Amino acid sequence: MSHPPRGGPLGLAGCHACGKVSPETLGRCPRCGSALHIRKPQSIQRTVAFLIAAGVLYVPAMILPIMTVLEFGGSSAKTIIEGMMEFWQSGAYPIAIVIFTASILIPLVKIVALIWLCAAACGKVHPSPKILGKVYWLTELLGRWSMVDIFVVAILVAMVQLGAYMRVLPGSGALAFAGVVVLTMFAAMSFDPRLLWDRLELMEGAPPNEESPP
Amino acid sequence: MRPWPKPRGGPHRVVCHFCDTLHESVPVPEGTAARCVRCNAVLYQNRYASLVRATSFSLTALILMAIVHSFPFMSMDAGGMRTTLTPMGAASALINDGSPIVGCAVALFTMVTPLIMSGGLIYVCGPLLWGKAAPGATRVARWLTLTEPWNMIEVFLLGVLVSLMKLGKMAELHFGFGFWAFALLMLAMAAAVAGIDREELWDRLEVAKE
Repeated sequence: MSHPPRGGPLGLAGCHACGKVSPETLGRCPRCGSALHIRKPQSIQRTVAFLIAAGVLYVPAMILPIMTVLEFGGSSAKTIIEGMMEFWQSGAYPIAIVIFTASILIPLVKIVALIWLCAAACGKVHPSPKILGKVYWLTELLGRWSMVDIFVVAILVAMVQLGAYMRVLPGSGALAFAGVVVLTMFAAMSFDPRLLWDRLELMEGAPPNEESPP
Repeated sequence: MRPWPKPRGGPHRVVCHFCDTLHESVPVPEGTAARCVRCNAVLYQNRYASLVRATSFSLTALILMAIVHSFPFMSMDAGGMRTTLTPMGAASALINDGSPIVGCAVALFTMVTPLIMSGGLIYVCGPLLWGKAAPGATRVARWLTLTEPWNMIEVFLLGVLVSLMKLGKMAELHFGFGFWAFALLMLAMAAAVAGIDREELWDRLEVAKE
């Protein structure tokens, strides 16, 4: 099968910052001065490291309260899940679904999707770059929306300052959750989708009967 | 205005960000995009009136930012008290009430990043309208690439809508001038960032420095 040439095998690197194509041997991009790499350096290792950190933080982010409501009678601490359930029980289904998707589902799906992408880039599962490329594009696109719960906490803390009547304070879960979002964003940025195509080309280049000995 | 120029020398090439396929960088008509022959990802786009749009929408965004931060965003009447919200107030409430790191993150994603992006675009694209490169424009253009993913204005707006559902039940809410300015800011930022393609910006910068 013949494909159009790719930059990597010819020693050409597209600059991360400005996109100019130069030989990697130059070391630095002649146009903008950024370091040149054919692939993002240590892409898989960095992505996995960020993912492990995000996965570990996901637990306290879900268990610890994201905010505490101080009222006349006392205080009640709420986790992300409890906050979502409250919306659901009060009949605000669309908002409950938004919170569920942005805060609980997207971070999890993102972690799983990036693990899948890393496994595919390492050849553990079949790399189908056309589909996985879309998956990668989606994880990059959706990641930021998880931040919505943090903004909700910020707004509630700022607005609900009614003295002895009612107050809202941020909880320790907010820090953990913000950490999850930022770390998964770093993980997505560290991953290099070109590795999927490298792996595919490696597999296509291999002898066809390699896997089935006679 | 001059069409998208190409720097001297060559060959002019571009690699696909997704699959690394090497292409000749050929000019495409205004309003169209060049796509990768192998994976169909967009390689670059030739935008209509790119420099004018990037500069003017960034300028609009800066003006809107000034409005957002000088008018109330939202106010709430409950229990005989009135509280008002500004994005600055949301960040500082977190900083003062025991979550300084998260507060700083909120400030970064809703105020600092949009400021760097719109200010940076004006600084780079403004002088390029006259074919000139501002001093240090290369560094500023690199910052633009770095800060882009961290601009979360539209996410903050979704946060406002969710908070409305929470607060609406217990109190009377009023939208201020700041809120509408913020909604417009979201549109202006999106238009400014989409105004000019990265390849075009860097090509113009390179030509201006020749």
